[in-house]
Amino acid sequence: MSVLQVDHLTKDYGSGRGVFDVTFNVEKGEVFGFLGPNGAGKTTTIRHIMGFSRPQEGVTYVEGMNSWLEPAKIQRNLGYLPGEIALPEALTGTQFIKMMADLRGLKDMTRTNALIDRFELEPAGGLKRMSLGMKRKLAIVTAFMHDPQVLVLDEPTSGLDPLMQDMFIEFIKEEKARGKTILLSSHIFSEVDATCDRISIIKEGHLMSTFVANELRHSTSKTFKLEFNSKEEFERFRAEAEATKRLKILSVKRHRNQAKVQVEDADVNDFIAVISGYSLKFFSEIKFTLEDYFMKFYDRGGAAYAVN
Amino acid sequence: MFSKPILKQTFKSSYKLWVIFTAILCVISAVVISVFDPKMISGMMKMLEGTPMAEMAGDRLSSMTSLLGMLSQQFYGMLAAILPMIYIIITANNLIASQVDRGSMAYLLSTPTKRSTVVRTQASFLIGSVFAMFLVVTIVGLGTVQLMHHALWGEGYTPDVVAAAKVLDVDKADLTDDLSLILDNEEALATGADAREIETDVYTMYLTLKMADDTGELPQFSEQAGQVGDMQNQIISGITAAADVLGVAPADLMSDMGKIKANSAALAAAAETSGLPEPLLVMMINSQLASDELALDAGIEFSVKDYLMLNLGAFLLMFAISAISFLFSCIFNLSKNSLALGAGIPIAFFVFQIMAQIGDSLSGFKYLSLNTLFDTNAIVNGGSYAVQFVVLAVIGVVLYVVGMNRFQQKDLPL
Repeated sequence: MSVLQVDHLTKDYGSGRGVFDVTFNVEKGEVFGFLGPNGAGKTTTIRHIMGFSRPQEGVTYVEGMNSWLEPAKIQRNLGYLPGEIALPEALTGTQFIKMMADLRGLKDMTRTNALIDRFELEPAGGLKRMSLGMKRKLAIVTAFMHDPQVLVLDEPTSGLDPLMQDMFIEFIKEEKARGKTILLSSHIFSEVDATCDRISIIKEGHLMSTFVANELRHSTSKTFKLEFNSKEEFERFRAEAEATKRLKILSVKRHRNQAKVQVEDADVNDFIAVISGYSLKFFSEIKFTLEDYFMKFYDRGGAAYAVN
Repeated sequence: MFSKPILKQTFKSSYKLWVIFTAILCVISAVVISVFDPKMISGMMKMLEGTPMAEMAGDRLSSMTSLLGMLSQQFYGMLAAILPMIYIIITANNLIASQVDRGSMAYLLSTPTKRSTVVRTQASFLIGSVFAMFLVVTIVGLGTVQLMHHALWGEGYTPDVVAAAKVLDVDKADLTDDLSLILDNEEALATGADAREIETDVYTMYLTLKMADDTGELPQFSEQAGQVGDMQNQIISGITAAADVLGVAPADLMSDMGKIKANSAALAAAAETSGLPEPLLVMMINSQLASDELALDAGIEFSVKDYLMLNLGAFLLMFAISAISFLFSCIFNLSKNSLALGAGIPIAFFVFQIMAQIGDSLSGFKYLSLNTLFDTNAIVNGGSYAVQFVVLAVIGVVLYVVGMNRFQQKDLPL
């Protein structure tokens, strides 16, 4: 059984906002990336998983429990990091940590203190005057303090400095190694790319694509960009590529004598043999990233629906 | 049932406001009780009599001559209605709507705490804090009454009884039961009159009236209404003549008839014009002054039960008001919407009640205000108010239950 199940979830807020027939599962020990720009429906989906909102249609389960019907039960084994950090202002950081521990019935503060040290949190001051980064760290500590098996993280690194972002990504990898199930919503490609096993892309409330991240990372073909020293060389290369069929020219820039070529990994030696006979200015690999993949859905607009 | 950690957090974020409002209420209540001086108030009443202001105030004026009457008008009719209301409006919004609006509610609900527990804890805090507010005000009020007027324990001995008891060397309570002891002893009589700051003649008259009053044998002048009416006309003409001699307005003189006695020329003029013999005139003036004194004694009479009922009524009204504010705090996700109705409706109730009191033409507004159900006049003057109390309690309970249910069922934008 999947740890997190989102089953045909629909919530229409009107004027095209909301989520529509969203379905995905997160398996035990998996880090699942939920990728989409602001307003695409990430937070709405999470609201339903947390049991804050009642679905119009469909249902969400956490460890087999219905989110809307048993919200208090699912929280026992769940850590939630909200996208917007709005802490109760009357408290100090220490009081807030104490309150969250009391609400969770948490007695042993060893892990909490370890987390405070690790994230270099200074919780003594009042929450009203804390910087956004410090508040974010505080929220991270309280989300992980009870060592939950399931984690729902809504844009967890926004507001953290780059060093802290890297540390957080390391931390997520460790938690994953400890068998945690993590749903990570984000619009930052690097953190999703670095941590996630599977990724879903959401656009305007519709799930566009769900795919295994490794397949994207370890594609069996590479793309290279070549620039030739002369027009003649450039045209000769095009002709040869046409003839051999092994080199697939994706695009050309005539005025700069450039060509983009896709090469299967198996053919890479042949490719090098071929281009050694030309007078090249340079050649470089163009890495295919998650961002490129993501942009396919957003650049093409309406046509992208067909991909799913 | 309740969540202690949430209660703790709520307490931390709300207690300052509670302390401020409770302190203000206590200080004002204590000041109003302390400055109450039946002599001064009844003097003011006399000054106001017949002026347009007295007409405006209507029967509220007459109820102000007693301590509870004044408290009910000055304090429970106004300040004890508006100050706790402001506290309630701010706190009710902070307890639910503001936390949903800001998003901090997400932390409470991301722990194994049920929504029902959250909302029940917050409602309990609101009700409990309003109750505690009135409890403190009641205790401070009773303390002040005892301290300033000795009206709670050991009976309210009048200064003359205290002084005379010393002279006669008897117990104050025994003396109060048998005032004739003072009449029988000249020294006691003189000391008592001194303590009351009145003449011995007037004091004698006062004691006689007081004893008659205690046994319920106060002479009823109305039986000879016609005769009294004639006599009153004569007296008034006499007073007018005396006022001419003294060079003061007749109305001023009427409220301080001792002046006629003090000036022989004025007394002669009054006797001549009214056609009444001087001794009779003096006796009548004395009698008037004595009944004034009697009225003063009534002024510091204080019913603890009525006072407790005033506070209970004020609390029940605020309980119902807090239920309104809490209901809208539960319904709305935005503070501005919660406040628009949660503050707007209670304030409208308050304004409607004030408008209804201003004049007869606006009295219909009382039907639009919950505040009307807290009828301070009925409580102080022995009217019926039990039904109104029950209605306030029921309204409060129903609205709290509706609000709590609504919060458990709605979508939260967290």
